[in-house]
Amino acid sequence: MPASQIAAFTRTAALAAGLAGAALALAAPAAAQTLKAVKDRGTLNCGISQGVLGFSTIDDKGVASGFDVDFCRAVAAAVLGDPTKVKFTPLSTTDRFTALKSGQIDILSRNSTWTMSRETELGLAFPVVTYFDGQGFLLPKSRNVLSAVELTGSKVCVQAGTTTDDNLADYFSANGMKFEAVKVANAAEALAAYKAGTCNVLSSDISQLYGERLKLDVPTDHLVLPDVISKEPLAPVVRNDDFQWFTVVKWVGFALINAEEAGITSRNLPDAMKSTKPDVRRLVGQDGNFGQQIGLSRDWAAAVIKAVGNYAEMFERNLGTQSRLGIPRGVNQNWLTGGILFAPPIR
Amino acid sequence: MVKDKSTWRVRDALFAMGVAAVMAAAPATAQTTQRPSDPHAEWDLEEQPGYQPSASEERLSAQWERQPVFFRTNEPAGTIVVNTAERYLYVVQGNNRAMRYGIGVGREGFQWKGLVTIVRKQEWPDWRPPPEMIQRQPYLPRFMAGGPGNPMGARALYLGGTVYRIHGTNQPWTIGSSVSSGCFRLVNADVIDLYERIPVGTRVVVRQAAEL
Repeated sequence: MPASQIAAFTRTAALAAGLAGAALALAAPAAAQTLKAVKDRGTLNCGISQGVLGFSTIDDKGVASGFDVDFCRAVAAAVLGDPTKVKFTPLSTTDRFTALKSGQIDILSRNSTWTMSRETELGLAFPVVTYFDGQGFLLPKSRNVLSAVELTGSKVCVQAGTTTDDNLADYFSANGMKFEAVKVANAAEALAAYKAGTCNVLSSDISQLYGERLKLDVPTDHLVLPDVISKEPLAPVVRNDDFQWFTVVKWVGFALINAEEAGITSRNLPDAMKSTKPDVRRLVGQDGNFGQQIGLSRDWAAAVIKAVGNYAEMFERNLGTQSRLGIPRGVNQNWLTGGILFAPPIR
Repeated sequence: MVKDKSTWRVRDALFAMGVAAVMAAAPATAQTTQRPSDPHAEWDLEEQPGYQPSASEERLSAQWERQPVFFRTNEPAGTIVVNTAERYLYVVQGNNRAMRYGIGVGREGFQWKGLVTIVRKQEWPDWRPPPEMIQRQPYLPRFMAGGPGNPMGARALYLGGTVYRIHGTNQPWTIGSSVSSGCFRLVNADVIDLYERIPVGTRVVVRQAAEL
C-alpha cells in the first residue's frame, strides 16, 4: 500500500510539474506567435492538397486555385492585407499534420475532416468548418431513383477498409435495405467498376462524387443523390498552442459566412462601406474596433471580401455554379436559407 | 374569335419570316452578344423572336440541370421558392428536399421579394414586347403568337397581383445569368416539367440577397 501511495504521489507530482510546464509554455509568447511570425515574414505558409478538384489544384503556370486555396488567400488578406502573399505547399495525407506541427506551414487548408482524435491526439485545432461534406451516392439517371431509401437491391462500389465502407453497411441496415457491396482498393478502381457496370451505385464523399462524375463519358447521365449519410466536416487546421492565431483563422471563416448573410459581395463592397446598417458597418470596419482586438487592421474583413468574395462567391466559383463540378450548396447554405452555416455575430 | 386568332397567326408568320430573314443574314452564332465575364453582371441581350434553339443548345450544363437537392425550409411541400442570387427555382417536396431548376433572372426579377401565388397557367403564351424593349429593338414585332421560337417559351405561370411571370425561353444559354429583360425564365423542357407539377394557387416565395 505505502509503495503504491508513493507511486501515486510521484505520479501526481509529475503531473503537477507537467501542468506547470504546460502553463509556462502557454504563458511564453515565443513559441506561439504565429500571427507575428506571419506579419514579420510577410508571407502566409499554407499547406494544401496535391490536387483535389475544386478544393486545391495547381495549374501548369504554378498558380494555385480552389476553395481551400481561397481560404488561405482570405487569411492572408486579413493578416497582411494582400491575398497574393501566400506560399502554397502541396502535402500528402501522411505529411499534412507533421508539416503543421513542425512549423513548416502556418495553416493547413486541405479538405481535412475535423475529428476528436485529431484534436486530442495530434495537438491540432480546427477553428471553423468551411465545408460540410458527407458520404453520398452516384448513380445512373436511367435508374430513375431520386432518394437513397429507394436503393434497396443495389450493387454499391466502395473502397474496402474505409469508414465509407462501414457507413454504407450501417445505412442500409438501419433502413432495412438489402445491398451488395462491391469492394475495391481505391477510387480509380471504384470508378472503373462503376463504368463497367460491375456496380450500379458509387458511394464516396459527395465532394468526391462530383469530381468522379466529370470523368464519366456523359456526366449529365449520372446523378448524385441529395442524401448525406455521414458527417465529414472539412476545416482548416492550426496548431493548438496559439489561441490568437486560432481566433484569427476562425473569424476569417465567420466573416465569409456573415458577409453572405448581410448581402456583402466583392462587387458591392464600396456600397457596403457606405451602408447605414449596423451589422454591415461593423463587418466592413466602419464601426467599432474589432480587427485591432485580434491584432488585425480595422478593415480586415473588408480585405477578405475584396480578395475572395463572401462564402457564396467562394463556393460558387470553386465548387458550384461557376465550376465544372456544379455541387449544390445543400447543407452548406446559410442558416437563413435552410443550411447549417451559422456564424456568431461580429459585435 | 377563331378567325381573329388565325389572322394573328398569319401576321405572326409574316413577322417570323422577316425575323428569319434577318437571322439568316446574321452570323450563325445563336448568341447576339457576349456573355459578360462577371457572372453576376447583367447581360444586355437582344430578344431573338423566331429563333429556335437546337437540341444541344437546349441541354443545360450539369449545374443548371433540373435535379433533386437537399433543401430545408419551413414552407410547405408544393411551394415554389425562387432564389435570385443563386439563379435557382425550387419546388419544395418536403422531407428536406426540393426539385431544383436553373433559371435566368431578368431585371424585373430582382425588383421585388415576398409571397405571391400562381393565378394562371398558359401553354405557349403569346408575346407582346413592352415599349422599352421596342425602343431598344425597333424592328421587333409588336405581337407574336405563342409557339416554338417565341421568346416567352413553351409555358408561362402568372404571378398574381404583379405583371411578372415564370416562363420559358428560346435563349437557353441565358440560364444562370442575369439578363436585361423579363422575370424568371427556364428552358422549355424545364418550364413544361414545372407546369405539370404546379397547380394554379401555388405559393411562390421570392428571395433576394440581403440589402446593404
